[in-house]
Amino acid sequence: MLKVLRNVSVIAALASMVTLTACGNSNTATNTTGGSNGSSGNSGGDILVGLQFPLSGNEAKMGEDMKQAAELAADEINAAGGVNGKKLKLVAQDDASDPQTATAAANKLVSQGVTAVVGGYSSGATIPATGVYHQNGIPMVVTAANSQKISDQKFPEIFMINGTTVHQADIATDYMVNKVHGKKIAIIHDNSGYAKDLAEKTKADVEKAGGQVVVFDAVNPDESDFSALISKLKQAQPDATYWTAYYKAGGAFIKQFKQQGVSGVIGVGDGSNDKTLIQIAGKDAAEGTFITTSPTAEFLPEGKKFIDEYKAKYNAEPGPYSALEYDGVKVLADAIKRAGSTDQKAIVEALKKTDLKTLSSQVSFNEEGTLKKSNFIVLQVKDGNFAALK
Amino acid sequence: MGLHLTTDMFVQQLVNALIIGSFYALIALGYSMVYGIIKLLNFAHGDLFMFGAFIGYTVLAKLTGTGSSLLGILIAFLIAMLVTGFLGMGIERMAYRPLLKAPRLSILITAVGMSLFLENGVMAAYGAKPYIMPVTLPTAAFSFLGTKITYSQIGIIVLSALLMVALQLFIHKTIYGKAMRAIAIDQTACSLVGINVKKVISLTFFVGSALAAAAGMMNATYYGNITFMMGFIFGLKAFTAAVIGGIGNIQGAVLGGLTLGVLETFGTLVIGSEWKDVFAFLILILLLVLKPTGILGEKVTERM
Repeated sequence: MLKVLRNVSVIAALASMVTLTACGNSNTATNTTGGSNGSSGNSGGDILVGLQFPLSGNEAKMGEDMKQAAELAADEINAAGGVNGKKLKLVAQDDASDPQTATAAANKLVSQGVTAVVGGYSSGATIPATGVYHQNGIPMVVTAANSQKISDQKFPEIFMINGTTVHQADIATDYMVNKVHGKKIAIIHDNSGYAKDLAEKTKADVEKAGGQVVVFDAVNPDESDFSALISKLKQAQPDATYWTAYYKAGGAFIKQFKQQGVSGVIGVGDGSNDKTLIQIAGKDAAEGTFITTSPTAEFLPEGKKFIDEYKAKYNAEPGPYSALEYDGVKVLADAIKRAGSTDQKAIVEALKKTDLKTLSSQVSFNEEGTLKKSNFIVLQVKDGNFAALK
Repeated sequence: MGLHLTTDMFVQQLVNALIIGSFYALIALGYSMVYGIIKLLNFAHGDLFMFGAFIGYTVLAKLTGTGSSLLGILIAFLIAMLVTGFLGMGIERMAYRPLLKAPRLSILITAVGMSLFLENGVMAAYGAKPYIMPVTLPTAAFSFLGTKITYSQIGIIVLSALLMVALQLFIHKTIYGKAMRAIAIDQTACSLVGINVKKVISLTFFVGSALAAAAGMMNATYYGNITFMMGFIFGLKAFTAAVIGGIGNIQGAVLGGLTLGVLETFGTLVIGSEWKDVFAFLILILLLVLKPTGILGEKVTERM
């Protein structure tokens, strides 16, 4: 028995070593920008703005891209004299894209005395954090996270400037039914919360728009073989097929879809907005695939100036959510200016009345704190790259 | 959403079923061989399938380069089999041999630990993102009963069949094969008559791992992408296949693999793609209830 125990513990030690190396960099890191480390409250005439996104772990790059965009926006605002004569000071907390770390990060921002928060990358981490901000009456502009569940909480302090699944389903339906003139639509998801939600909303929208959903099916998230589903699609002869799940399986799906010559156009949701999709599918198979996605800087009319400034400052390309984070800081600054103070209730009221032209769209909020008008755009794969739809 | 099975759809699905079944069968062979000889369920075996795919990818990406040269693929294929075979031997030597006399549970848990080690080791070395195979299989096809079948698909089925036949010959026509069969029956007696038991066990791991790598490499070129977790579900399915056929039985592994491939593919067609894995493991549960020894399994005195 002792021997067994010893062996088990050796294995356990080995396994934990491996796990530790695998996630060795996911410790909570505090990241303060602009030297405001340790300064709590809005003393010194600065407006302290909290930032929350993953700065460690798998999604660290996304957070870094957002942080730099926020700094760019704050620098611009401060260079133009700040807000109501005060400078914006940013303080970033790492949520590691993890619900527990996010709650801790949110509490930390609260104790640091931030006036408001701009950020939120993954919905899973953002949802618990919004609860903390709500309890403390702190307004938050959610920039990247876009689950309907965030607004379903009905927290008056929380405003989302990325379109939700409702907005995305709208634009996907519009494209498939009105632009492609599709009558028979197929929708495929992978049973994950986000993909299923988008698939169901799109189905309802398509039916409302007069289309017919001929195949509505789900696959396993890590599936590599879609032969049975493809046969089913081939028989149903859809005019358009919409994949709402993620890029890895999505790439393989597109590849097999084209190999078997299923009829109609194929498109994917923003979970598949990653160039790896094109690589997995293969350049030829991916050609012509449409993508519904949040606005990224390179496809926005005003985006070029932003990209140039971003590149000049950081010598790197902005990330997929940089433009939205930049917009988020601008939206908040605009609201603080109109509120005329750093009183959080006044800021919330001002945010409700927002009507601001930003990089990504004309931002104004409905009752739920989500965008009045969808800011989703449709892209298309052209020569192995995403391109704006002509 | 009514679905009726046309001839062309049936043929197409049958080819798909044979391909998936071949992958399952090749991995199941290693499971069954190892179980047959040392009564160990080597749960790290699915990850050797993954490891083989990564070695194949690395060879293609670094050495033979892109393009769909069949020679390049063949070289990568052989190197992947060889390297993974030696890794399998190494795993046996380092992780399992010291525990051969220990209670069965220790070695089983070691196998689970080894599986985690391989998955996370590859993730640490390569990263978590999916890798795209630098080669594509030729897409030339011929028409058969109203459906398109590519030569690559036929190639995979034929190559798998050749490997299985070769293994069969190896086990039944060579002295090492005879030794393997003998050890499966009685290890102690084998040592007494002078068979180098350790060497033969080592060889069994080499052969089993090389077959898994062959499946991994074929799977990678067929689907075009690989990730560090790809071996997990394939390992479980192959284990299911081995149990269906009767674990420890070589023909059973092949039969189980193909049976699972066919049942899974046609089952998925009828009840929906999201039920694919559920369906496969439902078959496993039903079989364990109705005929626990598997299709070709012999009476076993001990079952884990």
